[in-house]
Amino acid sequence: MTEVQAGERPDVAVLRIEGRLTMVNAPALRASVGEAVEAGRTTVVIDLAACTFMDSSGLGAIVGGLKAARQAGGDLRIARLTPQVRTVLELTNLDRVLRPHDTVEAALDGG
Amino acid sequence: MRAVEDLGLIGAGPEERFDRITRLAQQVFGVGAAAVTLIDGRTQHHKSQYGRALEDGPRATGFCDHTIRNEGILVVEDATADERFSDFPSVTSGQIRFYAGYPLEAPGGHRVGALCVVHDRPRDFTDADRRMLAELASWAQREIDRAEELDRAGDVQRALLPRETLRLPGYDIAGLCLQSGAVGGDFFDWYTASDGEVGLTVGDVMGKGLQAAILMATVRAVMRAGSRVARPAEAIAAAAAALHDDLWRTDTLVTLCHARLRPADGLLRLADAGHGLTLMVRADGSVERTGRGGVPLGWPYDAEWPEHTLRLEPGDGVVIFSDGVLELYGGAQAAFREVAAVARTAGTADELVAHLGALAGALAVLPDDVTVVAVRRTA
Repeated sequence: MTEVQAGERPDVAVLRIEGRLTMVNAPALRASVGEAVEAGRTTVVIDLAACTFMDSSGLGAIVGGLKAARQAGGDLRIARLTPQVRTVLELTNLDRVLRPHDTVEAALDGG
Repeated sequence: MRAVEDLGLIGAGPEERFDRITRLAQQVFGVGAAAVTLIDGRTQHHKSQYGRALEDGPRATGFCDHTIRNEGILVVEDATADERFSDFPSVTSGQIRFYAGYPLEAPGGHRVGALCVVHDRPRDFTDADRRMLAELASWAQREIDRAEELDRAGDVQRALLPRETLRLPGYDIAGLCLQSGAVGGDFFDWYTASDGEVGLTVGDVMGKGLQAAILMATVRAVMRAGSRVARPAEAIAAAAAALHDDLWRTDTLVTLCHARLRPADGLLRLADAGHGLTLMVRADGSVERTGRGGVPLGWPYDAEWPEHTLRLEPGDGVVIFSDGVLELYGGAQAAFREVAAVARTAGTADELVAHLGALAGALAVLPDDVTVVAVRRTA
């Protein structure tokens, strides 16, 4: 997982997931979101363009991150989902409450 | 020798948790090989070994059979000079001259194997060496105990699943839950409620292993407590509220499908919390998906769960499964297609469930828990 710069906004963190997001690295994602939020970057975008596989633990980490961001008065958004990740989100109906965005920019603009 | 069989370690293949101990032992003592052996009625098995390859062999000509006769360490500095061992094939062939072994116990206290090191030349074994071997053996012992503890947890968890088929005139009901590890997060449940309706639940707690298993038992109990609630959507909403704090603190999501069947006329009310894996196969072979449900339990904010009503006519069936089934078929689309095909050709709910069970059983390693509940109206 890498954090990428997101232009000029000091309140934004963009986290890129590479490869699989499962029980193995779910805690790392949760920790990265926690660190970003604590540093005041409370609008967090998870860029999933390079995420090839996500399981329910990965989904749990994203929802955990959302809680952390919202508690700090911010938000967490997801962008650029691969087909497998989109299927997991749709099967669990979470796509309706955690709306997927086509680009990181759209995620930053949209709710 | 039931004790050693009960451990479930023989024939289970290599395991890293034992391999790292033999690897360390071989390097610490600078010997030809190190092994964790297990001894059943006639054979000395090598559960783990590192260094020169050792063959499983008859118990009668294995050193470890002597180690387990007494408590504590057995050291043979030169086997050619010890008449207990000098005619063993491994000694006459020159493979083993030095041996040191420390017994390992099954949970009942029976000595069932050893952590041992061997070398093809005589060797001294100092007091420090003896202490080190005993220390490494206690580590191997803990791994054996841990396996036993998990197995017991697995027994308890299996006891939480319905033990008996629900006998319901005019219906045919079957269920199956296979955990990928000793314990897991899937479950199913069924019961006859006080109003004569039948309650059915399939649930999947996110994650694997003990953490999922602990929450699985909790979710099952909460859903059981909701058996008096006639409307599935209300039962799910009540469970979500009851579990909210537990799931919030553990960052856990739980997908759940809960249904109530009225046997008299086949009315099936169903609510779904992010589970999404329910198929209805009509008597004429046509397939229907139930409408979309709500989010999983553990979604931290407001949520609602819609209720869907279906009617099972004679010959119609419903299948609810967990996402472990998706991996059996390599994806969601293929799984829906294939499960529907199996439902069409299977004569009974039992046959359908057995078919999926056989598919899962054919895999060397089950990547995820597999759960299926099938209901067919026969008359």
